[in-house]
Amino acid sequence: MIHILLTTDPISEGYVILITGLLIVFSALITLALFFNFGLPILLYVYKIITKGKDKKVSEIKVKSDSGFTGEISAVIGAAVHMYTSEQHDFESAILTIKQVKKPYSPWSSKIYGTQNRL
Amino acid sequence: MKKLILVFSVLSLLIFIRPVFGLGADTNSTNNTSVSTTQVELSEGEGVFDGALNGIKTFYSYTGFANSSSGNVIMIIIGIVFIYLGIKYDYEPLLLIPIGAGVILGNIPFVAGNQTGIYETGSVLNYLYFGVVKGIYPPLIFLGIGAMTDFSSLIANPKLMLLGGAAQIGVFATFLGALYLGFNLPESGAIGIIGGADGPTAIFLSSKLANGVNIMPDGTTVKNLIGPIAIAAYSYMALVPVIQPPLMRLLISKKDRKIRMKPPRAVTQKEKMIFPVVALILTTFISPSSLPLLGMLFFGNLLKESGRTERLADTARTKLIDIVTILLGVTVGASTQADIFITKDSMLIFGLGATSFVIATCGGLLFAKFMNLFLKGDNKINPLIGAAGVSAVPDSARVVHTEGLKSDPTNYLLMHAMAPNVSGVIGSAIAAGIILSFLG
Repeated sequence: MIHILLTTDPISEGYVILITGLLIVFSALITLALFFNFGLPILLYVYKIITKGKDKKVSEIKVKSDSGFTGEISAVIGAAVHMYTSEQHDFESAILTIKQVKKPYSPWSSKIYGTQNRL
Repeated sequence: MKKLILVFSVLSLLIFIRPVFGLGADTNSTNNTSVSTTQVELSEGEGVFDGALNGIKTFYSYTGFANSSSGNVIMIIIGIVFIYLGIKYDYEPLLLIPIGAGVILGNIPFVAGNQTGIYETGSVLNYLYFGVVKGIYPPLIFLGIGAMTDFSSLIANPKLMLLGGAAQIGVFATFLGALYLGFNLPESGAIGIIGGADGPTAIFLSSKLANGVNIMPDGTTVKNLIGPIAIAAYSYMALVPVIQPPLMRLLISKKDRKIRMKPPRAVTQKEKMIFPVVALILTTFISPSSLPLLGMLFFGNLLKESGRTERLADTARTKLIDIVTILLGVTVGASTQADIFITKDSMLIFGLGATSFVIATCGGLLFAKFMNLFLKGDNKINPLIGAAGVSAVPDSARVVHTEGLKSDPTNYLLMHAMAPNVSGVIGSAIAAGIILSFLG
């Protein structure tokens, strides 16, 4: 295919790639969209029939108490928490100071009280 | 103790000075005539000082100061600017800081032939760069992205997938633009993918098409454009918060910006598990060349959603992607060695990259408006989320969210914008596959 196309002008081949490329990208995404719009519910329905409704545990869980709590609110909370934690910095001063500590006089090792010195 | 140190230092001093005074054992043995001795003394003394000077000169000729060119200095300044942008303005710091450090690393001037530079075979940087040249890093990044991404908003509202396709018009428009500017076909394909706003995809495609190794059918070698393309893609991705808002305000009316979308329905775990498998099969059947990218993306997502491989998913989305990001960032940065990077082509690529982002954003926004013509009442979409169709996950979705908040402080678009955003990733990977299958 490349050899046939090379005899033509690269610009016109560019247009060919532009049109086919866009078409393919769109068709791929449309197939995906169609499948998840129509195919998936059918699949799940078939699965339900095969397993004869054993799989009802999810629906038994009551979620009515927080029906106002939609996915977008949780996403916003998540984003807020993320932004809060990511913008937290602990700025510490890089200047270290060593304070001189004055010790009270302690004679515990003083030489004048050694065994050599007889007062 | 002090005496010992004194003796030692005097001895060591003597040993160093010895050749200067000609006190060496070998000169003593040749002390036959005084004339010859003096000659030896002189020549030796001069020899040592000259040798030292020459040594310093050769050392200087090996330093960066002697070899630096204006290009190196410019690129080092650019690297510092990248690091500054990453730290100060928080523009994708995870990318800009490694790349900035890499730019500095790659532009330290050196003498060629010592296996130092990234383009010299055998150097360590060259081995690390191998992952870029052979396209190993991008699929690994995609694995991590897949393990991070939640596709549920896309599953809940599959029609938003089309917005991710609409933004790919930027890819093909840039491809044409590059052709008109005189790049040959493979190079144009690699440049076009900048419009996909997806760093790993851009690196993957340019490493396959514009790697400086491939030979065109007419006998010319393609140029090595991996560095400029990767830098352009990543820097424009970081600049999404600057590029997109003006276009949104220009194209979308105030009334449209306030459209509220109904919250997406809850998605069951079963659907989430089916999605990666089905999407993998469907998309790679349509565009098999994008297999390395899409395969890893959906594999990572399967690890996340299966619920049984939490450990693998956890590694993929944290440690693995971090390691690869570090290596990718530094080596892509270092590949911008001035003598290869500062060319007219790179400037053209930067120009094309900017236009491709603009076209992709406009494509997404206009297609969202177009879709609204067919949608009734509650189902209408907020056209702002079309801008998230350029991938740049998750930055463009965040931009859409903040733009939406500006016109209506209680309208949260983040969740809705994630759907076109992730489908933009899929779309640009498919587009890369198509370009690769045409031109590879």
